Amino acid sequence: MSAMLLDEFGVGDARERDESWRYSKTALRALSQQDFSAADAHAALEESLVARFDWPLTRGRRLVFVNGGYSGTYSDTGSIAAGIDVRHEGGQRFVLTVAGDSAEPLHVVYVSVPGAAAARWQTVADLELLTGRVGVIEQHVGAAGADVLGTLHSRIAVGPGAGLRLTTLSDLPDSVSLYRRVNTTVARSGACQFVDAIFGSRLQRADLNVDLNGEGARFESRGVFVLRGRQHADTHLDIRHTARDTTCDVLWRGVADQRARGVFHGAITVAPGADGADARLSNKNLLLSPHAEIDTQPVLEIYADEVKAAHGATVGQLDETALFYLRSRGVPASIARSLLIGGFCREAFAGIESADVRGWLDTLLAERLPDSHREREEVAG
Amino acid sequence: MLKIDNLHVRVAGKEILKGLTLDVGAGEVHAVMGPNGAGKSTLGNVLAGREGYEITQGSVSYNGRNLLELEPEQRAAEGVFLAFQYPVEIPGVNNTYFLKAAMNAQRKHRGETELDSMQFLKLVREKLRVLHISDDLMNRAVNAGFSGGEKKRNEIFQMALLEPRLAVLDETDSGLDIDAMKMVADGVNAMRSPQRAFVVITHYQRLLDYIVPDFVHVLVDGRIVESGDKSLALKLEEHGYAWIAERRLAGAA
Repeated sequence: MSAMLLDEFGVGDARERDESWRYSKTALRALSQQDFSAADAHAALEESLVARFDWPLTRGRRLVFVNGGYSGTYSDTGSIAAGIDVRHEGGQRFVLTVAGDSAEPLHVVYVSVPGAAAARWQTVADLELLTGRVGVIEQHVGAAGADVLGTLHSRIAVGPGAGLRLTTLSDLPDSVSLYRRVNTTVARSGACQFVDAIFGSRLQRADLNVDLNGEGARFESRGVFVLRGRQHADTHLDIRHTARDTTCDVLWRGVADQRARGVFHGAITVAPGADGADARLSNKNLLLSPHAEIDTQPVLEIYADEVKAAHGATVGQLDETALFYLRSRGVPASIARSLLIGGFCREAFAGIESADVRGWLDTLLAERLPDSHREREEVAG
Repeated sequence: MLKIDNLHVRVAGKEILKGLTLDVGAGEVHAVMGPNGAGKSTLGNVLAGREGYEITQGSVSYNGRNLLELEPEQRAAEGVFLAFQYPVEIPGVNNTYFLKAAMNAQRKHRGETELDSMQFLKLVREKLRVLHISDDLMNRAVNAGFSGGEKKRNEIFQMALLEPRLAVLDETDSGLDIDAMKMVADGVNAMRSPQRAFVVITHYQRLLDYIVPDFVHVLVDGRIVESGDKSLALKLEEHGYAWIAERRLAGAA
């Protein structure tokens, strides 16, 4: 079974698969040893679960998938803009075609609902942005219970001069695992921005592949993972500059507490002929416990001329001097830690234009920061 | 208010303070001067409760309590404030949020009601106006990207806002031009009161032209070797720290 999941989630030959999964192999093996039945796409959702995605701002522009299947019951598509076409090709595949600007973001929700025994779902979602600018919020939520493994394959095509902003908020209980592969192409003068916020889950692997194949194509990635317990998140960014004057700008922050495990792999390749490329990658990580682990691998391969490239990656601990500074002003140690961790994460989101997106991220962060959690436990205990 | 008695402190296995004794009464301004490496910053950090300082002997009492057993945040709430020699840059943490958290934690500790956002901002604007500081300071991250002068101004602003009873200024004058130094001095002088004490740690006499101290102490090699009034600072300026060393040698002989 182990080989089967690696076959399914891996790419390339055996050596490449092994290499790409080296930090998450044990977690994948544990998943592979389980028997999963097909998850129920018609499962009913608890009200508290619905409340997590039923935001007033996106009412009327929301597509909801329950265990991978499109749900007419929970979707709310009354005010989707005229230029947006949603097609279902069978239960587990849908195609979104956008032409023209959409001022309000589209909200796509993937809900993982446990059954009586371990179950899994798979979905294919394609997004083709022909013209205009659009924001899409992809949200992953789930209920705790028996194990669920979700697999989402996305293909995204950003057309010439078009602009996509994809914000992915993934906040999953420890019984849910998620594999996402997003294959993206950005055409001439197109702009694509990914914002990822990853919280929780048993194993969460994202393969974000981006091909900047049109002249002047731009890609920006902002991301944060915040993990605790035995949570495990593994993000692979693979960005290929294959046309002239393309740019990418990657800024990620990671936090791991207790026995959590975080992995960040950021690979940027500038292909022969992709002259004038500008590539930046920064990844900083914070370990809050001696038992937590974060592995970061920036990889830069350049085969073109006149390329600007900068990359840096660090793994460190909370700055004791900063902690003392806050405490010396009267801020209690637990709140000071929380402030510092929050500030560290928010650095990744500083440049995000949309105030709404920043607001959601702030709320999620405030709820999910390790120390706010601890305080709640202390209060509850 | 503050009684330091025969304080011995080790940092990373090395003895830095070697029997420091200092009495600071309410309403007084004490200047502590000394050459590099004498233990000036160690004194400030020990008073504020920084980790990594091992007290091997002696005591520090503050308003009759053992200061050394309090956590840094408890000391702050009890009215101790340290203006840092090197204020820390904290990207991503907003100044307003930080200071409101600090102020309300202190008030809570003292059993006072916490300020709501309106009350807090009103107070902030008042203090900023008095110190002639632009209010965009409050929208920025704590010290992030601030110039040296801006950081020191922010320290004085925080002091003005938190209204400590014992303020320790650790080389607040270092790296400041004359205008910024005057601003710092104005901030301190405006807060002088019979209930409040200051310990002004400095390397140079210049700051003491603007903050006129009641007492001047010379700290050399972990001990106060000479105490006097403000004229002592002028003598030091004239003769240098070598003069103190020579006097001590003469005294010993």
